[in-house]
Amino acid sequence: MAECEAKSEVTGSVWKIVTEVGQKVDAGDTIMIIESMKMEIPVIAEEGGTIKAFLVKEETPVTEGQVVAVLES
Amino acid sequence: MSEAAKDAPTTGWAPEIEELQFRRAEAQRLGGVEAVQKHHDQNRLTIRERIAGLVDGGSFQEVGGLTGQGRYADGKLTGVTPAPYVMGLANIDGRPVAVGGEDFTIRGGTSWSGDRKKGGQGGFIEDLAASYLIPLVNLIDGSGGSVTSINRRGHAVFPGVHGFERSVELMGKVPVISAVLGTAAGGPAGRAILSHWSVMVKGTSQVFAAGPPVVERSLGQKIHKEDLGGADIAVDHSGTIDNRAKDEAECFAMIKRYLSYMPQNVWEMPPVVDTGDPADRAEDALASIVPRDRRRPYNMRKLVELVADKGSIFEIQPTYGKALITAFARMNGKVVGILANNPMVYGGAMDVRAARKQTHFIELCDSFHIPLVFFVDVPGFMVGKDAEAAATLREGMRAVYVALQASVPMFTVVVRKCYGMAGMGATDKNGLDFKVAWPSAEWGSLPIEGGVAAAFRREIAAAPDPKAREREIEAELRSMASPFRTAEAFGVEDIIDPRETRAYLCRFIDAAQVRIRTTLGPKARYGVRP
Repeated sequence: MAECEAKSEVTGSVWKIVTEVGQKVDAGDTIMIIESMKMEIPVIAEEGGTIKAFLVKEETPVTEGQVVAVLES
Repeated sequence: MSEAAKDAPTTGWAPEIEELQFRRAEAQRLGGVEAVQKHHDQNRLTIRERIAGLVDGGSFQEVGGLTGQGRYADGKLTGVTPAPYVMGLANIDGRPVAVGGEDFTIRGGTSWSGDRKKGGQGGFIEDLAASYLIPLVNLIDGSGGSVTSINRRGHAVFPGVHGFERSVELMGKVPVISAVLGTAAGGPAGRAILSHWSVMVKGTSQVFAAGPPVVERSLGQKIHKEDLGGADIAVDHSGTIDNRAKDEAECFAMIKRYLSYMPQNVWEMPPVVDTGDPADRAEDALASIVPRDRRRPYNMRKLVELVADKGSIFEIQPTYGKALITAFARMNGKVVGILANNPMVYGGAMDVRAARKQTHFIELCDSFHIPLVFFVDVPGFMVGKDAEAAATLREGMRAVYVALQASVPMFTVVVRKCYGMAGMGATDKNGLDFKVAWPSAEWGSLPIEGGVAAAFRREIAAAPDPKAREREIEAELRSMASPFRTAEAFGVEDIIDPRETRAYLCRFIDAAQVRIRTTLGPKARYGVRP
């Protein structure tokens, strides 16, 4: 099984984590939502897989390119 | 007297033709079987394979195939080590181009000098492109200058003895494309960047000013060449090279695709292609693609796909400056340059990278007479300490500057936010200034939520519930900010049903084609950019 990293495209803060560890997601699904520039910016799964771990918590800051979740595909 | 002279025929030139054929066969061998195998083992094609993979079958007419170093025994030719550069005239999709590249299997593509240079900067291949006004494709795989040239020549060569003057001249005349297919440092790296569009291959190519040995010597920094200048750095992080290909085959397909949007030179119109996509196609999905909730982004790429001719979009620098999408596309078969803000990235705010990308793309399209279509959703320039430290405002004003210097027709479609100087920078203020808006559009000098806090500070602070008062004032202003009110005053030229966007744009893009024909030729540029 390959691991794949989900990254935040933007600097901001984690607003809502809308998935759970162990949940299966398809490519294009939203994993969590980052708030940046008064927008709710989704972190979108590039490939389908199962959520292995979150590396951030809600209401914590993130920087552009930061890995926020790890998925197993 | 040599054996050949003793056996010379009394008529005809058979021995010489035989020698010609032998020399040509030697040129085909490049660096020899072992060197070619080593090259293949690294997942890299030879320069002859690359040219064959790129151009129309059988169309490559090589020039200078006899260059190199002959090996002689008793005055008789025993073999030739070819010069490490292969080039000539070829067709790509039926159109003549000048194409050439280094042969890495011979001394890493370096260290040959004849009376005339073949390729790289200032070589025959650049002269060919300039003389015939045809596109130039550089297939770069050379490691550049070396200190060994001091030994070879017996003196130090002044840098730029073969200069970039011709390379720069070409930038205003014909499409110049460079593909980096190996490790490019120094001259070859510079050559790659002096192009209208550049592409590199993931994993097998790198671009840097100088490689790991020089970096370690200069800075004590130990770094692997892939970390120093691989696609992750050179394309995604820095935008030094425009696009990345997953392998050489994809690279050739991308080169052909890019060329299909460009004219042969700046004196010609971009090629029109019948894409078979009806100009009045109206996609229902456009009616609801922009969420009513202003905090929610949407897929701007999908929006543009629903408007442009199907399958016609070619994105340039997709992995850099992601707050902006820049792409060639067709509208009813006519080439356009699309600039679309991406609300998924900083709400579409223009940061320094997006600004840089916009500046380059506007100049490119203006030079090659490609009309621009802006799909606007920009809250303004990026704000904050990091943005200021990165000179966002200066880079943004540079983008504004080139738009005001451009003379190609521009069309502005305001999808949602259009604020401030970044918003203004997406309009054709020096031209027709033709803006159409969707009902979801909103505009102003700055967004209401930022402006109210600043302009009504005292009133808000004095209120019993400051947050509530701030929201009240915002709601009042927002009620007057309907785009329809601006349309009443002809502050925006039209508001349209999003589904009408394609048909509306196609009408005007078609009508503007005649006007483009009146301003063909090189674009003069005056003034100094900020």
